[in-house]
Amino acid sequence: MKTTRREFLGSVAAGAALIAAPAIVRAQGADVIRIGALCPITGAGGPYGSGMQKMIIAAAEAVNAAGGAAGRKIEIVAEDTQTNPQAAVLAAKKLIEVNKVQAILGTWSSGVSLAVIPLTNDAGIPLMHCSGAPALSVPPANAKGLGFRFQATNERFGRAFAEICEKEGFKRPATMAFNNASGIGNTEGFAKAWKAKGGEVVESVVYEPNQASYRSELMKVLAANPDVIVTGSYIADTTIILREWFQTGQPVKWIIPGWAANPQLVEALGNEVVEGIISVDSVSNEGSEAFKVYDEAYQKAMGQPGTNNVYAAMTWDMMTLLALAIEAAGTADIPAVVAKLRDVDHADGKKVSTFAEGKEALKAGKINYEGASSSLDLDEYGDVTPDFGAYFIEGGKFNRRYIVKI
Amino acid sequence: MDAYLAAIAIIALIYMLLSLGLTLQYGLTGLINFGHVGFFAIGAYTSALLSLQGVPLALSIPAAAVTAGIAAWPIGLISLRLRDDYFAIVTLGFSETVRLVITSEKWLTNGVQGIPGIPRLFESISVGIGAQLAVMGVLLVVTLAAIYAMRRIVASPFGRVIEAIRDNEEALQALGKDPARFKIQVLILGSALAGIAGAFYAHYITYIVPDQFIPLVTFYVWMAIIIGGVGRVSGAVVGTGLLMLFLEGSRFLRDIVPGVSEVEMASLRIGVVGLLLVLFTIYRPQGLMGDFTKR
Repeated sequence: MKTTRREFLGSVAAGAALIAAPAIVRAQGADVIRIGALCPITGAGGPYGSGMQKMIIAAAEAVNAAGGAAGRKIEIVAEDTQTNPQAAVLAAKKLIEVNKVQAILGTWSSGVSLAVIPLTNDAGIPLMHCSGAPALSVPPANAKGLGFRFQATNERFGRAFAEICEKEGFKRPATMAFNNASGIGNTEGFAKAWKAKGGEVVESVVYEPNQASYRSELMKVLAANPDVIVTGSYIADTTIILREWFQTGQPVKWIIPGWAANPQLVEALGNEVVEGIISVDSVSNEGSEAFKVYDEAYQKAMGQPGTNNVYAAMTWDMMTLLALAIEAAGTADIPAVVAKLRDVDHADGKKVSTFAEGKEALKAGKINYEGASSSLDLDEYGDVTPDFGAYFIEGGKFNRRYIVKI
Repeated sequence: MDAYLAAIAIIALIYMLLSLGLTLQYGLTGLINFGHVGFFAIGAYTSALLSLQGVPLALSIPAAAVTAGIAAWPIGLISLRLRDDYFAIVTLGFSETVRLVITSEKWLTNGVQGIPGIPRLFESISVGIGAQLAVMGVLLVVTLAAIYAMRRIVASPFGRVIEAIRDNEEALQALGKDPARFKIQVLILGSALAGIAGAFYAHYITYIVPDQFIPLVTFYVWMAIIIGGVGRVSGAVVGTGLLMLFLEGSRFLRDIVPGVSEVEMASLRIGVVGLLLVLFTIYRPQGLMGDFTKR
């Protein structure tokens, strides 16, 4: 195939136009509000990060389609944390210094959030994250009250596990934790809450990530003869552990966090293995109107159901809540917006589920954004206070038997 | 923008210290050290823990160098018996062991929760461009001192001996020199540099956790010295500079060229680095600043 000069020139022109285009776009958007999306696209958070980022963008598009917040369009500048604090620090510096973003949304692992929050504090802008580490709620990390957590802390999860254990009448719980801040946070939170109730944990094991087999860890736990095993685990390791446990034939119940015990797990193992497992998750408001809107956006962007990625629902809520606060403040001036964040989420306000709805209702008075990930209700530390659902896996279906309020 | 550039410069200087250490070990002496990040981690944790106990940074950073150097001692003894690839495997194992020890010894290192709130250098200067430039200045002085020391080493009799170890250890022994002593010294010196780099890293990022000290860090340093030119001090400097320029510069590429998502960019970035390494090995095995007087 020969390329003629005309074709060649044509492609050069097209290429030049491609490079020049954003300059034109930018010239139009001089008055935009820039928001940084700092999600874990690669690294340990990779399975979630891409969906999280796309939902921030999708939520921003929904805001723009409704005429923008405080009359201004939102522009998202995205960066990758690589689930690595060093890369995240550089990315955050770039977002703050070069792109001049007004807020950073979507950091995932606690390590990344703890490394980024000093920077956002210095810049005086909010950091909205889905990390579990309790240290993020209090000074020094959250000295300025600019950190907002859209995920239940690991400690809260642990407390929910203990409540369920008590309710189900278990006497001899053991724990298994994936060796990272989140996994250990879950089981230690459980042990603390359980001991406070006067209970005893018969065995606790911490295991290393990425192993082909967890048989020895499992045997150690089963040797203590527990009646229930509480885990702080992820889906890959949970799949292996449950398969190996089923082969032993020893009867025991399981309480597993919802991000590990999900429909994918049932699919991987079959109904028989997972029968009776209790999956605990922050009630992600799945019945809510906001969740439906989010789910639709997620299906469109990722081709999967929105329940697959709880963190994407959180980032969706981050963007929507922030935009509502900007709308309520009537300005993108950050201190004013931060002051409004709790107002648009006010318990006695009118319930709204989308930005467009909230924008209308704000003209009339107070609103309460009921999120897709939870009902939000940011507390004094900037943490959401979700309720937890105890889902029993029965015949491959997740049946929510009751809700635990902490 | 200035503060962002300063941040890149600081990280680049930290990596430069790491590559100088590796240049000494591999480039000059031929010790294939795949566990460089282990010493980096030891330095970071030493200085972080000491400074949190109230030790001034002026003492904790040298302490990091000393601890990392001492940790290299047993590895040095092993290096006497193992050559080439075997030594590489042992060092890789060593760095993973360091990471697992840090993960497990919670009473000391807080395990996977990491150590937050490590004091910054120049805490008295309020955060902002001033403090950044001050940190950069100190790092620049340390790096220049390291470069100067390296150049002196290369020009000294010591330098000739270690290069001889790399080129032909048997011949050196036949001449009545004892390679063991030199290898241990080189390992300790290189690891001490990595320890200093770790200390600066800890005080700059202010939060350390075992996940930061994965073998990828070692291999970034390897990439830098391979691109720059193995066995040349200038190669370590140029290679690190180029690697950082590329890794960070690719962020801006995406701002200019639309239609490349962050996911694609991440894969692209690693792909291009891999391609560069292949091309360098084929067409310019000596690296950019390589020594062309030989072969």
